[in-house]
Amino acid sequence: MHGQPRKAPKPEDEAASAAKAEKLRNLQSQFLCFHHNNIYSKEALEVSARLLENNPEYYTAWNYRKLAVEHRLTQSESDPDSDSDSVNSILNVELKVVESALRQNFKSYGAWHHRKWVLSKWQSSLDHELRLLDRFQKADSRNFHAWNYRRFVASLLNISEVDELQYTTDMINKNFSNYSAWHNRSVLLSNLLKRKAQGFFPKEKVLNEEYELVHQALFTDPDDQSGWFYHLWLLEQTVKADAPLLVSSWPAHDSNLILLGDSCLEDSALSPFNTFHSELGTIPLVVYFNKAVEGVNSSTISVESVLNTKGELTWKPLSTNNSQTAQVWVTYLNYPNIKLHSSEFYPVEVSVGHTPGIISSSGFHYSHPSRFAFKVFVRPFEKDLAGHGVEMVSWREDNFLLYESHSQESNPILSLDQLNIKDDHEESSSKWRAETIANEIALFRELLSEINCKIGKLTLARLLIAHDMMLSPIANKMVHSEEVIQLYSDLMKLDSPHSQYYKDERSLVLLQQITSNRESLLRYCFRHGDRTSSFLGNSICLRLNNISLSRMGSIEKLLWVQMLDLSHNELRSMEGLEAMQLLSCLNLSNNKLSSFTALGPLRLLKSLKVLDISFNEIGSHSIDTTRYLCSSPLSHTEEIDWSHDETVTGDVNQTNYWEAFLIFKDLNLTQLDIVGNAIADEKFKSFLVKIVPTLKWLDGQELQLH
Amino acid sequence: MTAATTKTQQEQWMVENQVFQIFDLFADLPRNAKSALVELQRDNHLEYLTKGLKRLDPSFCVLDANRPWLCYWILHSIALLGDYVEHEVEDNVVDFLSRCQDPNGGYGGGPGQARKSSILWQDHLPHLATTYAAVNALITVGGERSLSSINRWSVMFEVSHFCNSAYWSHFEPNDMDSEIFCREKVYMFLKRMKQPSGAFRMHDAGEIDVRACYTAISVASVLNILDDELIQNVGDYILSTHSKEGTDSGVALGLCTYPGHELRHHIDLKVYPSCQTYEGGISGEPGAEAHGGYTFCGFATMILINEVNRLDLAGLLDWVAFRQGREGGFQGRTNKLVDSCYSFWQGGAFALLQRLHAILDEQLVNYSPQTGVASDISGGEESSDGVDDKTCHFKLGGTNASCPVNLNSIGYNFVKQPGEMEALYHRWALQQYILLCAQDMKGGLKDKPGKHRDFYHTCYSLSGLSLSQHSWSQDEDTPPLPNAVMGPYANLLERTHPLFNVVLDQYYEAHEFFDTP
Repeated sequence: MHGQPRKAPKPEDEAASAAKAEKLRNLQSQFLCFHHNNIYSKEALEVSARLLENNPEYYTAWNYRKLAVEHRLTQSESDPDSDSDSVNSILNVELKVVESALRQNFKSYGAWHHRKWVLSKWQSSLDHELRLLDRFQKADSRNFHAWNYRRFVASLLNISEVDELQYTTDMINKNFSNYSAWHNRSVLLSNLLKRKAQGFFPKEKVLNEEYELVHQALFTDPDDQSGWFYHLWLLEQTVKADAPLLVSSWPAHDSNLILLGDSCLEDSALSPFNTFHSELGTIPLVVYFNKAVEGVNSSTISVESVLNTKGELTWKPLSTNNSQTAQVWVTYLNYPNIKLHSSEFYPVEVSVGHTPGIISSSGFHYSHPSRFAFKVFVRPFEKDLAGHGVEMVSWREDNFLLYESHSQESNPILSLDQLNIKDDHEESSSKWRAETIANEIALFRELLSEINCKIGKLTLARLLIAHDMMLSPIANKMVHSEEVIQLYSDLMKLDSPHSQYYKDERSLVLLQQITSNRESLLRYCFRHGDRTSSFLGNSICLRLNNISLSRMGSIEKLLWVQMLDLSHNELRSMEGLEAMQLLSCLNLSNNKLSSFTALGPLRLLKSLKVLDISFNEIGSHSIDTTRYLCSSPLSHTEEIDWSHDETVTGDVNQTNYWEAFLIFKDLNLTQLDIVGNAIADEKFKSFLVKIVPTLKWLDGQELQLH
Repeated sequence: MTAATTKTQQEQWMVENQVFQIFDLFADLPRNAKSALVELQRDNHLEYLTKGLKRLDPSFCVLDANRPWLCYWILHSIALLGDYVEHEVEDNVVDFLSRCQDPNGGYGGGPGQARKSSILWQDHLPHLATTYAAVNALITVGGERSLSSINRWSVMFEVSHFCNSAYWSHFEPNDMDSEIFCREKVYMFLKRMKQPSGAFRMHDAGEIDVRACYTAISVASVLNILDDELIQNVGDYILSTHSKEGTDSGVALGLCTYPGHELRHHIDLKVYPSCQTYEGGISGEPGAEAHGGYTFCGFATMILINEVNRLDLAGLLDWVAFRQGREGGFQGRTNKLVDSCYSFWQGGAFALLQRLHAILDEQLVNYSPQTGVASDISGGEESSDGVDDKTCHFKLGGTNASCPVNLNSIGYNFVKQPGEMEALYHRWALQQYILLCAQDMKGGLKDKPGKHRDFYHTCYSLSGLSLSQHSWSQDEDTPPLPNAVMGPYANLLERTHPLFNVVLDQYYEAHEFFDTP
């Protein structure tokens, strides 16, 4: 059997086991004889019992005993002399047979199942079952059959979850490396906390005690994994907010959005962060939640504005897998008619969740009704641009100048805090959270000063992040980010097999740090010299290039970005970028994108015009290596309507380039750079020209108009 | 600080010590001695396995009710080593397993005598796990005689009747004389009796768990008899998202390509925790802790029923990645010791993760762009059979109902895709553990140093080794690069199907054989 060392057989042992096999064969043939002839006599039952004691895996014999029990119970029902004692004795025998079988093999599925069957017919005494379980859980405290049976008995005999919780406490006190006990504890506590059982409310008090318990384990032997895994669960219970929250929006609360006509404006008094131009004749309105939600529609979010003339707004989930659940939702307001030489502004007010209906994917309702408002200014035409051609956008270094802001200018990440939803009755609980996390941080810093322990470092990093998030859940002040980045860098060396994981985590922290305040963000904001391109509403380029990013994050703070430089990083996926609805120019050159599927989120960016994906690894791998790295590895669930595009592609064999087709057919790119990818041969380029009719420049070459 | 140590920790250290001693010894050896030590002892393994098939040691009598398993473990190990058993032995296996087959379908743990009056009187009741083992063993043997010995529609009957323990009161086995009649009966019975929980029982009045789901679905899929009725609510059982009765229609589950989001609001938070635990792995039943064997079973099942997107795959990846330890091998559960059999169960989860793209092909295969209508399945498969013909047939826009997914081709398309990517676990370390620590130089493989060899560990160590060696193959016709195979290149094993765990050549033969529904 698994986990039990066997000795090498000696000759006398072999003889003994041959004799045993012989005995078993005899028992088996006797048993079969009884079984085939419907014999349920005492002797027959004895034979099957002995057979099962020797070989509990002989499940046919367990079923025979079930038939025998039913037969004998029917008999005793019709027998006027029988009483409840005889029923008891019939079933008691079964329990005994199971017990001896389990002594032979405590992992026998058949034996445990037979016991469940008996118990579901007739309730044995609670004490008896618990004693049995004690014995088996002592013999192997990780035996999952026994733990499963324990949960079965507890629910069948209505053992209170509190008592079962006490049992896990006892087991943990006996041996805190028993992860099965910790796991059962997490299951039980989740239920108790959820229904606010007596003694399990408020949750803060309960969790404090849990922290104490797990500290004992962690500090006794930090190398034992069990406690650490429980600690991660505990941390999640501490920081998690069940109800979804609105974390940001575009346009932001209290912002003054400046809409431009078909002009190229060079008015330095304007804040470029809030300047916007759209050829599509609509203004996107984006709401960003902290978790994926469904049920966003015109009744759950109301928009009051004169811009909304088309009647009811349609909200669309920004999801790459066609799901009706998404973290980010968008709708479009109509662009107002711009009259010459008139300056007007239009107030817009958005109310989120005043009518119930927004639900997180785990089933929690949005419970923080909130309101945000902004104003839309319309700038009249200043110059007629007719005949003035659009020029190619160049990402050359000398085209960028560090942006110098004007103090009166609005803050790109402004108003995130103003949107903040203060929940009065949670005041005390948020104070408790902050204290708890701070306490944990102090403890683990102390522990790590004495030992070098990777899971300890990982836990500390997560605690520090949780702490910073808690200080200000929306515009977080990343006071610990340097320390966290250092921890992840250490972990990459200490635990190299998982270094990619740590690198991703480090990228996220780095981005949180960069976006945590105006000053740090402005260090990455550049003015793009090439201001003649009219589709650029503003000329600010956010340059997050060459900072070793392996993953993109903090997008909720970057919804205003229209020009983004992510070149010279290690990005493999564009997950999350679908939220950046204003994006018109994107530089992804020199990254590790290995397929077009990795660009999937870009399909949802309707204003994207300029895309540089040169010098990536597209085509070098015959399959997509990023799919499984995304939180939704199945981005291919999209429906493809190929039949309509038949004419567009004509003779080009679209089937060879279906991934590229999927991405580019929805985009209206005018400029694309793809050089430096294995796939980018002449054949592919001619395919691109056909499927993207709007394309004007390909790899820096102006295309001939057809 | 003086840290106390737990018993678990001490055991862990003892194993680590043993393993590292072996590794240190290995590291100090001269080059030629090194390569001898990491050599797969093919001949010895074959001898050990072949002997096992001919005559079993009496100590195996506790496995008496699991004899199809012994057949499968041994035959599959031999096939992985690229060898065959003698014809006579093959014939014996087919005969033996035929005698394990119940006249009304399914395989029991040993040979039985058919009794007309009731199948409950079989010497060995048909059992899902042994049915899985027997079917896989017969596919591994291959050939007309072996494959035709499987009574598919009866197997299907078997699978369906496990759904209901009240089976015996509703069914007259004597009615099962003709196959066609049997088939109709099965469908009628299935529609009437399918339990809302969606799960399967191991055998009549037997236990219900994720293992049962896998063996049932795997067998049905490999025999080309999987249908919407069989898969209905299986995903709900694994995720414990039982909706209130009647709210989710069978249509939504059976025909919708990815029904995950539609079910979300039916989640009843109070019922049971999902089999996928907060750690990310999958447990045997709701509420239990995540376990390597069940994680593979649950994961493979969700793929085969085309609902894999309902799993939290990022969480699953996290969990399984952290199960590979310093020893190089995998542990089965959090804070347990390394065990070579998880080379397949956990390593297999990686093989599945890296091939998830293949399901895409399934969606693409049924549409022919010329006509705009769904082409028949065999046509789609012919094109992917072609050597260089990478033509895809695209599915029409709009979902499902008009163009249901062909469930039975999921397993086929899954391996037909070329694969080139880095494995998400440390392949080299795993192979080193298997070759140096799990190999008995006299033949056979074992759990860990200090343990004894057995057929179970031989089968699953070799299966895991094969997956690891082939995890970076360009496609099925291109052998792996030498640097993907630890030790001499002769260590290279045959490729195994990561969903069913039968050697690929044998799988293809079976796939063709069972092509007609």
